[in-house]
Amino acid sequence: MIYLNMIYTFFKIGLFSFGGGYAILAMIQQEVVLKNAWITEAEFVEIVAISQMTPGPIAINAATFIGYKKAGIGGSLLCTFGVILPSLLIMFAITVSYLKLKKLPWFQQIFKRLRLLSVGLIAAALFMILGHAVKDWYSVGIFFCCFLATWIFKLSPFMMLIIAAIFGMVFGIV
Amino acid sequence: MLLKIFFTFLKIGAFTIGGGYAMIPMIKREVCERQGWISEEEFLDGIAAAQTCPGPIAVNISIYAGYHVRGKIGMLVAVLGTILPSTISILVIAMLFQRYAEQTLVQRAFTALKPAVVALIAVPLINMAQKSGLTLKNAWFPLAIAILVGLLHITPVYLILITIIYAIWEARK
Repeated sequence: MIYLNMIYTFFKIGLFSFGGGYAILAMIQQEVVLKNAWITEAEFVEIVAISQMTPGPIAINAATFIGYKKAGIGGSLLCTFGVILPSLLIMFAITVSYLKLKKLPWFQQIFKRLRLLSVGLIAAALFMILGHAVKDWYSVGIFFCCFLATWIFKLSPFMMLIIAAIFGMVFGIV
Repeated sequence: MLLKIFFTFLKIGAFTIGGGYAMIPMIKREVCERQGWISEEEFLDGIAAAQTCPGPIAVNISIYAGYHVRGKIGMLVAVLGTILPSTISILVIAMLFQRYAEQTLVQRAFTALKPAVVALIAVPLINMAQKSGLTLKNAWFPLAIAILVGLLHITPVYLILITIIYAIWEARK
Protein backbone atom coordinates (compact mmCIF):
# COMPACT_ATOMS: atom_id res chain seq x y z
CA MET A 1 0.00 0.00 0.00
CA ILE A 2 2.83 2.37 0.79
CA TYR A 3 4.20 1.74 -2.72
CA LEU A 4 0.93 2.74 -4.34
CA ASN A 5 0.69 5.82 -2.16
CA MET A 6 4.29 6.77 -2.98
CA ILE A 7 3.89 6.51 -6.73
CA TYR A 8 0.57 8.39 -6.54
CA THR A 9 2.08 11.14 -4.38
CA PHE A 10 5.07 11.68 -6.64
CA PHE A 11 2.87 11.53 -9.74
CA LYS A 12 0.86 14.35 -8.20
CA ILE A 13 4.04 16.27 -7.38
CA GLY A 14 5.20 15.91 -10.99
CA LEU A 15 1.79 16.88 -12.34
CA PHE A 16 1.38 20.05 -10.27
CA SER A 17 4.87 21.45 -10.42
CA PHE A 18 5.11 24.33 -12.84
CA GLY A 19 8.05 26.65 -13.29
CA GLY A 20 10.88 24.22 -12.59
CA GLY A 21 13.01 23.28 -9.60
CA TYR A 22 12.32 25.77 -6.89
CA ALA A 23 8.58 26.01 -7.46
CA ILE A 24 8.44 22.22 -7.03
CA LEU A 25 9.72 22.52 -3.45
CA ALA A 26 6.46 23.85 -2.03
CA MET A 27 4.58 20.94 -3.57
CA ILE A 28 7.06 18.36 -2.20
CA GLN A 29 6.87 19.96 1.24
CA GLN A 30 3.10 19.92 1.21
CA GLU A 31 2.79 16.29 0.15
CA VAL A 32 5.80 14.63 1.75
CA VAL A 33 6.39 16.63 4.95
CA LEU A 34 2.95 17.93 5.93
CA LYS A 35 0.50 15.42 4.51
CA ASN A 36 2.29 12.05 4.62
CA ALA A 37 4.99 12.90 7.20
CA TRP A 38 7.48 10.67 5.40
CA ILE A 39 10.30 13.06 6.31
CA THR A 40 10.65 15.93 8.79
CA GLU A 41 11.12 19.60 7.97
CA ALA A 42 14.78 19.26 9.02
CA GLU A 43 15.35 16.35 6.66
CA PHE A 44 13.64 18.28 3.88
CA VAL A 45 16.15 21.12 4.18
CA GLU A 46 18.97 18.56 4.17
CA ILE A 47 17.64 16.96 1.00
CA VAL A 48 17.44 20.33 -0.76
CA ALA A 49 21.07 21.03 0.18
CA ILE A 50 22.19 17.59 -1.01
CA SER A 51 20.18 17.94 -4.24
CA GLN A 52 22.00 21.08 -5.18
CA MET A 53 25.40 19.51 -4.63
CA THR A 54 24.67 16.49 -6.82
CA PRO A 55 23.89 16.34 -10.54
CA GLY A 56 20.38 16.49 -11.92
CA PRO A 57 17.03 18.18 -11.28
CA ILE A 58 15.88 18.74 -7.67
CA ALA A 59 12.61 16.86 -8.22
CA ILE A 60 14.43 13.71 -9.34
CA ASN A 61 16.95 13.96 -6.51
CA ALA A 62 14.25 14.49 -3.89
CA ALA A 63 12.11 11.64 -5.26
CA THR A 64 15.06 9.24 -5.22
CA PHE A 65 16.16 10.25 -1.72
CA ILE A 66 12.73 10.15 -0.12
CA GLY A 67 11.82 6.91 -1.90
CA TYR A 68 15.01 5.25 -0.66
CA LYS A 69 14.48 6.46 2.86
CA LYS A 70 10.93 5.10 3.04
CA ALA A 71 11.20 1.88 1.03
CA GLY A 72 14.74 1.16 -0.15
CA ILE A 73 15.94 0.99 -3.74
CA GLY A 74 12.57 -0.20 -5.07
CA GLY A 75 10.92 2.79 -3.43
CA SER A 76 13.41 5.21 -4.91
CA LEU A 77 12.85 3.87 -8.43
CA LEU A 78 9.06 4.04 -8.00
CA CYS A 79 9.11 7.63 -6.75
CA THR A 80 11.43 8.70 -9.54
CA PHE A 81 9.22 7.04 -12.13
CA GLY A 82 6.14 8.64 -10.56
CA VAL A 83 7.59 12.14 -10.69
CA ILE A 84 8.61 11.95 -14.37
CA LEU A 85 5.49 10.16 -15.63
CA PRO A 86 3.38 13.35 -16.01
CA SER A 87 6.31 14.95 -17.86
CA LEU A 88 6.47 12.04 -20.26
CA LEU A 89 2.75 12.15 -21.00
CA ILE A 90 2.19 15.90 -21.14
CA MET A 91 5.50 16.96 -22.66
CA PHE A 92 5.04 14.38 -25.39
CA ALA A 93 1.65 15.87 -26.22
CA ILE A 94 3.04 19.42 -26.13
CA THR A 95 6.08 18.50 -28.25
CA VAL A 96 3.86 17.12 -30.96
CA SER A 97 1.54 20.12 -31.05
CA TYR A 98 3.47 23.05 -29.57
CA LEU A 99 3.56 25.16 -32.74
CA LYS A 100 -0.23 25.07 -32.91
CA LEU A 101 -0.80 25.43 -29.17
CA LYS A 102 1.35 28.50 -28.68
CA LYS A 103 -0.91 30.58 -30.95
CA LEU A 104 -4.02 29.93 -28.85
CA PRO A 105 -4.96 32.80 -26.51
CA TRP A 106 -6.16 30.57 -23.65
CA PHE A 107 -2.92 28.58 -23.75
CA GLN A 108 -0.85 31.76 -23.51
CA GLN A 109 -3.05 33.14 -20.74
CA ILE A 110 -2.71 29.97 -18.62
CA PHE A 111 1.05 30.20 -18.63
CA LYS A 112 1.13 33.93 -18.05
CA ARG A 113 -0.88 33.31 -14.87
CA LEU A 114 1.07 30.20 -13.84
CA ARG A 115 4.37 32.10 -14.09
CA LEU A 116 3.14 34.52 -11.43
CA LEU A 117 1.83 31.60 -9.38
CA SER A 118 5.21 29.89 -9.36
CA VAL A 119 6.79 33.06 -7.94
CA GLY A 120 4.32 32.70 -5.08
CA LEU A 121 5.15 29.01 -4.68
CA ILE A 122 8.88 29.67 -4.40
CA ALA A 123 8.14 32.30 -1.75
CA ALA A 124 5.97 29.73 0.05
CA ALA A 125 8.84 27.21 0.14
CA LEU A 126 11.00 29.97 1.57
CA PHE A 127 8.45 30.80 4.30
CA MET A 128 8.17 27.16 5.28
CA ILE A 129 11.86 26.52 5.84
CA LEU A 130 12.80 29.97 7.10
CA GLY A 131 11.87 29.43 10.73
CA HIS A 132 13.56 26.10 10.75
CA ALA A 133 16.80 27.06 9.04
CA VAL A 134 17.46 30.61 10.27
CA LYS A 135 17.10 30.95 14.01
CA ASP A 136 20.16 32.55 15.58
CA TRP A 137 22.85 35.14 14.76
CA TYR A 138 25.14 32.47 13.36
CA SER A 139 22.55 31.30 10.81
CA VAL A 140 21.38 34.86 10.02
CA GLY A 141 24.99 35.79 9.22
CA ILE A 142 25.49 32.76 7.00
CA PHE A 143 22.22 33.45 5.21
CA PHE A 144 23.25 37.02 4.35
CA CYS A 145 26.76 36.02 3.22
CA CYS A 146 25.39 33.26 0.97
CA PHE A 147 22.65 35.52 -0.36
CA LEU A 148 25.07 38.30 -1.29
CA ALA A 149 27.61 35.86 -2.72
CA THR A 150 25.10 34.30 -5.12
CA TRP A 151 23.02 37.39 -5.89
CA ILE A 152 25.63 40.14 -6.23
CA PHE A 153 28.81 38.18 -6.90
CA LYS A 154 27.12 35.46 -8.99
CA LEU A 155 28.78 32.58 -7.17
CA SER A 156 27.29 29.29 -8.44
CA PRO A 157 24.91 27.53 -6.01
CA PHE A 158 27.20 24.51 -6.02
CA MET A 159 30.31 26.45 -4.96
CA MET A 160 28.30 28.41 -2.42
CA LEU A 161 27.08 25.20 -0.75
CA ILE A 162 30.55 23.63 -0.75
CA ILE A 163 32.00 26.71 0.95
CA ALA A 164 29.11 26.76 3.44
CA ALA A 165 29.66 23.06 4.24
CA ILE A 166 33.37 23.60 4.91
CA PHE A 167 32.64 26.70 6.98
CA GLY A 168 30.12 24.72 9.01
CA MET A 169 32.57 21.87 9.63
CA VAL A 170 35.12 24.33 11.00
CA PHE A 171 32.96 26.80 12.94
CA GLY A 172 29.63 25.04 13.47
CA ILE A 173 28.51 24.10 16.97
CA VAL A 174 26.23 21.10 17.29
CA MET B 1 22.06 6.49 -32.94
CA LEU B 2 20.11 5.51 -29.82
CA LEU B 3 23.38 4.90 -27.97
CA LYS B 4 24.60 8.31 -29.02
CA ILE B 5 21.41 9.93 -27.73
CA PHE B 6 21.75 8.02 -24.46
CA PHE B 7 25.38 9.00 -23.87
CA THR B 8 24.84 12.61 -24.87
CA PHE B 9 22.06 12.98 -22.31
CA LEU B 10 23.97 10.95 -19.76
CA LYS B 11 26.73 13.51 -20.03
CA ILE B 12 24.24 16.35 -19.72
CA GLY B 13 22.73 14.72 -16.65
CA ALA B 14 26.08 14.00 -15.04
CA PHE B 15 27.72 17.38 -15.48
CA THR B 16 24.99 19.80 -14.56
CA ILE B 17 24.93 20.51 -10.90
CA GLY B 18 22.38 22.89 -9.46
CA GLY B 19 19.17 21.78 -11.10
CA GLY B 20 17.06 22.45 -14.18
CA TYR B 21 17.96 25.94 -15.33
CA ALA B 22 21.68 25.21 -15.00
CA MET B 23 21.21 22.40 -17.52
CA ILE B 24 19.81 24.53 -20.35
CA PRO B 25 23.11 25.97 -21.71
CA MET B 26 24.73 22.53 -21.56
CA ILE B 27 21.82 20.88 -23.39
CA LYS B 28 21.93 23.60 -26.03
CA ARG B 29 25.64 23.14 -26.60
CA GLU B 30 25.33 19.38 -26.96
CA VAL B 31 22.11 19.13 -28.93
CA CYS B 32 22.31 22.18 -31.22
CA GLU B 33 26.00 22.90 -31.63
CA ARG B 34 27.90 19.65 -31.20
CA GLN B 35 25.41 17.13 -32.57
CA GLY B 36 23.36 19.49 -34.73
CA TRP B 37 20.23 17.46 -33.97
CA ILE B 38 17.88 20.43 -33.80
CA SER B 39 18.16 24.06 -34.86
CA GLU B 40 18.56 26.91 -32.42
CA GLU B 41 15.06 28.16 -33.16
CA GLU B 42 13.52 24.75 -32.52
CA PHE B 43 15.48 24.63 -29.28
CA LEU B 44 14.07 27.97 -28.10
CA ASP B 45 10.56 26.69 -28.82
CA GLY B 46 11.50 23.56 -26.89
CA ILE B 47 12.55 25.57 -23.84
CA ALA B 48 9.32 27.55 -23.93
CA ALA B 49 7.37 24.29 -24.20
CA ALA B 50 9.42 22.69 -21.41
CA GLN B 51 8.64 25.60 -19.13
CA THR B 52 4.92 25.42 -19.78
CA CYS B 53 4.78 21.69 -19.13
CA PRO B 54 4.69 20.51 -15.50
CA GLY B 55 7.68 18.60 -14.17
CA PRO B 56 11.44 19.14 -14.09
CA ILE B 57 12.61 21.37 -16.95
CA ALA B 58 15.66 19.24 -17.75
CA VAL B 59 13.47 16.16 -18.14
CA ASN B 60 10.98 18.06 -20.29
CA ILE B 61 13.63 19.43 -22.61
CA SER B 62 15.22 16.00 -23.04
CA ILE B 63 11.81 14.61 -23.97
CA TYR B 64 11.49 17.36 -26.57
CA ALA B 65 14.99 16.90 -27.99
CA GLY B 66 14.87 13.07 -27.86
CA TYR B 67 11.55 13.04 -29.69
CA HIS B 68 12.86 15.36 -32.41
CA VAL B 69 15.90 13.18 -33.00
CA ARG B 70 14.38 9.72 -32.92
CA GLY B 71 10.66 9.68 -32.08
CA LYS B 72 9.21 7.97 -29.01
CA ILE B 73 12.16 5.66 -28.41
CA GLY B 74 14.55 8.59 -28.71
CA MET B 75 12.47 10.40 -26.12
CA LEU B 76 12.60 7.53 -23.59
CA VAL B 77 16.32 7.01 -24.10
CA ALA B 78 17.03 10.73 -23.63
CA VAL B 79 15.03 10.83 -20.38
CA LEU B 80 16.79 7.75 -19.06
CA GLY B 81 20.18 9.31 -19.82
CA THR B 82 19.22 12.57 -18.09
CA ILE B 83 17.96 11.06 -14.85
CA LEU B 84 20.37 8.14 -14.43
CA PRO B 85 23.36 10.11 -13.03
CA SER B 86 21.03 11.93 -10.65
CA THR B 87 19.35 8.75 -9.42
CA ILE B 88 22.59 6.83 -8.95
CA SER B 89 24.46 9.61 -7.16
CA ILE B 90 21.54 10.29 -4.82
CA LEU B 91 21.14 6.58 -4.05
CA VAL B 92 24.81 6.34 -3.07
CA ILE B 93 24.54 9.47 -0.93
CA ALA B 94 21.30 8.29 0.69
CA MET B 95 22.97 5.01 1.67
CA LEU B 96 26.02 6.77 3.08
CA PHE B 97 23.92 9.46 4.71
CA GLN B 98 21.96 7.00 6.83
CA ARG B 99 25.24 5.71 8.17
CA TYR B 100 27.03 9.01 8.70
CA ALA B 101 24.17 11.40 9.53
CA GLU B 102 24.93 11.07 13.24
CA GLN B 103 28.57 12.09 12.83
CA THR B 104 29.45 15.44 14.33
CA LEU B 105 31.29 16.64 11.23
CA VAL B 106 28.23 16.06 9.01
CA GLN B 107 25.97 17.74 11.54
CA ARG B 108 28.34 20.70 11.79
CA ALA B 109 28.36 21.08 8.00
CA PHE B 110 24.57 21.23 8.08
CA THR B 111 24.51 24.07 10.62
CA ALA B 112 25.82 26.27 7.77
CA LEU B 113 24.14 24.42 4.90
CA LYS B 114 20.64 25.06 6.23
CA PRO B 115 20.78 28.87 6.14
CA ALA B 116 22.65 28.55 2.82
CA VAL B 117 19.65 26.68 1.38
CA VAL B 118 17.39 29.60 2.32
CA ALA B 119 19.69 31.90 0.31
CA LEU B 120 19.67 29.33 -2.46
CA ILE B 121 15.90 29.68 -2.78
CA ALA B 122 15.82 33.45 -2.22
CA VAL B 123 18.01 34.28 -5.22
CA PRO B 124 15.97 32.47 -7.91
CA LEU B 125 12.85 33.91 -6.26
CA ILE B 126 14.10 37.40 -7.10
CA ASN B 127 15.17 36.37 -10.60
CA MET B 128 11.85 34.65 -11.30
CA ALA B 129 9.92 37.64 -9.96
CA GLN B 130 11.73 39.93 -12.39
CA LYS B 131 11.04 37.65 -15.35
CA SER B 132 7.41 36.87 -14.58
CA GLY B 133 5.93 40.27 -15.44
CA LEU B 134 5.40 41.19 -11.80
CA THR B 135 3.98 44.71 -11.24
CA LEU B 136 2.64 46.58 -8.21
CA LYS B 137 -0.85 45.85 -9.47
CA ASN B 138 -0.55 42.08 -9.72
CA ALA B 139 1.89 41.49 -6.84
CA TRP B 140 -1.06 40.59 -4.58
CA PHE B 141 -1.45 37.32 -6.46
CA PRO B 142 1.97 35.68 -5.79
CA LEU B 143 1.85 37.18 -2.30
CA ALA B 144 -1.53 35.58 -1.62
CA ILE B 145 -0.24 32.25 -2.99
CA ALA B 146 2.83 32.46 -0.75
CA ILE B 147 0.68 33.08 2.34
CA LEU B 148 -1.93 30.43 1.48
CA VAL B 149 0.65 27.73 0.78
CA GLY B 150 3.54 28.75 3.01
CA LEU B 151 1.70 29.82 6.15
CA LEU B 152 -1.78 28.31 5.94
CA HIS B 153 -0.49 25.11 4.31
CA ILE B 154 -3.12 24.93 1.60
CA THR B 155 -2.10 22.50 -1.13
CA PRO B 156 -0.89 24.13 -4.39
CA VAL B 157 -3.06 21.63 -6.32
CA TYR B 158 -6.34 23.55 -5.89
CA LEU B 159 -4.66 26.92 -6.39
CA ILE B 160 -3.15 25.73 -9.68
CA LEU B 161 -6.47 24.33 -10.89
CA ILE B 162 -8.30 27.56 -9.97
CA THR B 163 -5.61 29.61 -11.73
CA ILE B 164 -5.91 27.54 -14.91
CA ILE B 165 -9.69 27.80 -14.96
CA TYR B 166 -9.54 31.55 -14.28
CA ALA B 167 -6.99 32.06 -17.08
CA ILE B 168 -9.18 30.20 -19.59
CA TRP B 169 -12.20 32.26 -18.52
CA GLU B 170 -10.12 35.44 -18.86
CA ALA B 171 -9.03 34.52 -22.39
CA ARG B 172 -12.63 33.80 -23.40
CA LYS B 173 -13.85 37.27 -22.41
